[in-house]
Amino acid sequence: MDIARGLIAIGAGIAVLTGTMTGAGQGYAAGKAVEAVGRNPEAESKIRSMLILGAAIAETAAIYGLLISFLLLFVYQ
Amino acid sequence: MVICERISIKERREPLNEFLEWAVTTPLQVEVISIWIITGLIIALVFAVNHAIKKADVMAKPTGFVLLGVLIVQTFSTITRDNMGKNNASGYAPYIGALALFLLFSNISGLFGLAQPTANYSVTLTLALISFVLIQRAVFKTNGFVKYFTRLFEPYPVFFIMNFFGAVAPLVSMSLRLFGNITGGTIIMMLFYTFTGYISGFIPVIGQFDFIGPLVAPFLHAYFDLFVGFIQMYVFISLTTVFVANELPSETETT
Repeated sequence: MDIARGLIAIGAGIAVLTGTMTGAGQGYAAGKAVEAVGRNPEAESKIRSMLILGAAIAETAAIYGLLISFLLLFVYQ
Repeated sequence: MVICERISIKERREPLNEFLEWAVTTPLQVEVISIWIITGLIIALVFAVNHAIKKADVMAKPTGFVLLGVLIVQTFSTITRDNMGKNNASGYAPYIGALALFLLFSNISGLFGLAQPTANYSVTLTLALISFVLIQRAVFKTNGFVKYFTRLFEPYPVFFIMNFFGAVAPLVSMSLRLFGNITGGTIIMMLFYTFTGYISGFIPVIGQFDFIGPLVAPFLHAYFDLFVGFIQMYVFISLTTVFVANELPSETETT
């Protein structure tokens, strides 16, 4: 029983690892947005809204991982 | 004798009675009550703005509720027009504005002690379903009845599986994104309060009162409730408008 509980915790930890690549992707998007604003400062508001949209879409994978880890932790008691 | 009575009662049951019994005995989910409160607040706001606008002087500078109404309408019609183009936006702007107000109020409602409606998957799935129906309606309007089905099999019939999942994907991703963000914030705040309560339990006299939590929590609440709530509202309405606008015929670029 204790081993099963520990394995569930390890599984939840692995599920949350989806966040690593999401962080890399969001950082890349933010860097590109800074470049775009530097090249074309008048389009700042448009670039900001596109950045928020893209970052939120990239975040979806991390959210799925978070949900799965919550399910593992709280449903399989 | 008793059995006979029971059977006769059972036979007399009608569908309406059964439904009423089910409706009375089934407990409500907590989120339903907060949805009622939030909807009531929005309706009250709308009536207040309407009342103020009827009384207002047209030539004077807008103040109070009139200003609030003007700002809300202006903001959401601008956002819709930016994403969808001038001609398409007019029909969709009211829905987008109502959706945004509801999402904003319900995401922030966690700060006021209500159970957030968007932390319930039924609510977000319903909202995503409305967006899905809007998208399919736009496809139907542009392509017509026959093309609506044949375009699933393009370019080759094998692509049906991919096209089908491409059509259904927004439903899943939009609802799960909103739900996951809000639920994640709620659970992290719960874990945080448990942790600070555990830490302050070590201090002898005043340890029963969790005094570390209130010192650090405001920043976390500002992030998880206000910031994430606003961003997710913005993302939801942007995705709805962008997906719908993708399917509508593109406007002739005259400018």
